[in-house]
Amino acid sequence: MNERVFSVLGIFDGAQQLVDAVPVVKTRVSGRLEAYTPYPVHGIEDLLGLRKSPVAGMVLVMGVIGALAALAFELWASGIDYPIVTAGKPVLSWEAFVPIMFEVMVLFACFTAGLGMLLLLNRLPMFRHPMLRSRAMALITRDKFALAVESEGAPLDVDAVAAALRAAGARMVEVVELPEPAGPASPRFFARFAGAVAVACLIAGTLVYWGVKLFPVTVPVVHMLDQPRLDAQRASLWFRDGFGMRMPAAGTVARGHMPYRVERAEDAALLVNPLPRSAAVLRRGRSLYATYCSVCHGILGDGVPTLTAAYGARPANLVSPQITGYPDGLLYHAVAAGKNAMPSYAADLTEDERWAVIHYVRALQRALNARDSDLPQEVAK
Amino acid sequence: MTGGLVRKALAAGILAGAAGLGGTILWSGWERFWINWIVWFLFLLTVGLGCLFIVALEHVVGAKWSVPLRRVPERLSGLVLLVSPAMVPALASLPVLYSWARPEGLTDPVVAAKAGWLNVPFFAARAAGCILLWFIAHRILVRGSIRQDADRDARFNMRARRFAPVFMVIFGVTITLVAFDWISSLAPAWYSDVFGIYVFAGTFLAGLAATTLGVLYLTARQRLPGVRADHLYNLGGFLFAFTVFWSYIGFAQYMLMWYANLPEEVFWYRDRLEGSWGVLLLVLAAVHFLVPFFVLIPRAAKGDPRKLLWVAGLMLLAHWLDLYWMIFPAIGRGPLLGWPELSFALFFVCTALAWIGRAMRVGADMPVGDPFLREGLEFRL
Repeated sequence: MNERVFSVLGIFDGAQQLVDAVPVVKTRVSGRLEAYTPYPVHGIEDLLGLRKSPVAGMVLVMGVIGALAALAFELWASGIDYPIVTAGKPVLSWEAFVPIMFEVMVLFACFTAGLGMLLLLNRLPMFRHPMLRSRAMALITRDKFALAVESEGAPLDVDAVAAALRAAGARMVEVVELPEPAGPASPRFFARFAGAVAVACLIAGTLVYWGVKLFPVTVPVVHMLDQPRLDAQRASLWFRDGFGMRMPAAGTVARGHMPYRVERAEDAALLVNPLPRSAAVLRRGRSLYATYCSVCHGILGDGVPTLTAAYGARPANLVSPQITGYPDGLLYHAVAAGKNAMPSYAADLTEDERWAVIHYVRALQRALNARDSDLPQEVAK
Repeated sequence: MTGGLVRKALAAGILAGAAGLGGTILWSGWERFWINWIVWFLFLLTVGLGCLFIVALEHVVGAKWSVPLRRVPERLSGLVLLVSPAMVPALASLPVLYSWARPEGLTDPVVAAKAGWLNVPFFAARAAGCILLWFIAHRILVRGSIRQDADRDARFNMRARRFAPVFMVIFGVTITLVAFDWISSLAPAWYSDVFGIYVFAGTFLAGLAATTLGVLYLTARQRLPGVRADHLYNLGGFLFAFTVFWSYIGFAQYMLMWYANLPEEVFWYRDRLEGSWGVLLLVLAAVHFLVPFFVLIPRAAKGDPRKLLWVAGLMLLAHWLDLYWMIFPAIGRGPLLGWPELSFALFFVCTALAWIGRAMRVGADMPVGDPFLREGLEFRL
């Protein structure tokens, strides 16, 4: 009994001899049988009693996972994260998802089949497989066929197995031993490995850099720079009016917005601010006011602009009693439609943003015309 | 004894079916008669053409595994000769079913622009050209092969190899003409570039299913000695693969039209999705793709005669349903399945079975004169 034996090989001259030997050996010894042949021998897997490969099931499961993963991503991307309407279809249209589900399914299935077979099931690369050190390996890759009885953890009775193989017609018998167990890799090995990778990267990078620079045989990749589009300040050669963009059809309404159609200030005065006077709305209004309004009306709303006097026009004092007395709708009308020298801010501020600014202007008016009674009780004392 | 019984039953079926055909004309009118006629002659024609394609495919690629099975598609391809003359009386259906053949049909400017192609003389000439080409191809590929049984002349293989690629072109053009002329032009304003390929996918599957059934019929009677599960596995693999091809093409055609949503394209799908037709399409997707696909996924299933038997049977049913779904909505009514449809099924199925029963005795059961027969019998996966 030798504990260091990996397997006992019987070498046969032909595929038929090998196939005939399998049942003979099976009856005489126990142990895992394995065959090594220069080309696939049909039916040998059934004779040896090898377990069915799980690769098909793995591929099925991973294919289904791939399809579902693609579906989940598409549902999230086009349904939740960035719902954008294409060609008037519903945002969640299963038809548009199918091609991507199909491709991702194929991708997952292919990688599972290839890498799963090589890496997971066959555990490649396997540089220290005991068979690679056997003398018979050179014969098996040429024209001989080997039947191996492998030790399944338990030590093999080498003599009995060898006798059984000879009885089954083996021309030669070889005992394959396990290699010496490999020690842990030394720090020196890792240092050399890292050094080799660094040198390889350096050489490859230098070669590619100078190669592409000196011999520019390939067109540089320009991606979206090179496309038929209209650059700024250029006239369109395609449209007769020279504009690159078309006017939307009359009556077009942006998604989620209604155009401001009130023309007379008296009508606008009836509008009611739909937003609650909450801290979040006031913070939003302050931020928007600082961006769009404070340049002219001043950061306090008192009509002291940060502009130079060369601007000429005198912006309104928003905290004056006159404007404080305006209803919300009038202020809104001024923002949406413009007033005197002030242009319309309808293009800059959405409906909600305009109303948030109105709330903030009201807060400014209150703050700059504060009365003692406005103070909290403890402070007032 | 049983053979005589079957013959009598088939004769009774043909007579009863023929009576039903007459009754259809008398009580349901010509429209119902012709629409059934078109569905059924196209069904048998495509089964035969699919078989002829399989025969030619073997010669084109030089396949050896299919040589022992080749006599089955060769015999079944005779359906083309049996059924294609049914095109001649079907020309009488043109004014009944095809709006472009009626004077008022040309009032639509889109259809009027196609009048150079869609007119009765040219239509008849195309049909005649197709029939002529099929007869020539059948003569060279099938009659030559049966003659080889006796004279064992290997020059037939060379001739077939030279002619088969030519037939591939002929087949591609003629199957597209069949699809465009007989099916697509029922809605003359409609067009789809991929329609010919869609019909080809169904045709090839129908031919494969018929071939599989024929092979199973002969192997069950020990008339194909040496044909084993490995050969069946290849037929199963073909069925498996081409269910995916059919649905891939079918879905691609649908998705592009769904996306573009152009009125001149999408109405064809609207007619075939509204009401019960949509349910029928789901059934079609199930029997033509989902069920055969998932049944044939396991490796063992592809070589299992029992599974192949009912999958191939289901496939022929699905092919009929496919034609029914494409053609019947042209008469602008909901799905019809009454005694006229049943008597057409009875008449055509019994006629085809009676004819196939005779065809299955044409020549030897295997191409015994083919020099590659031995190699084909030695085929292993």
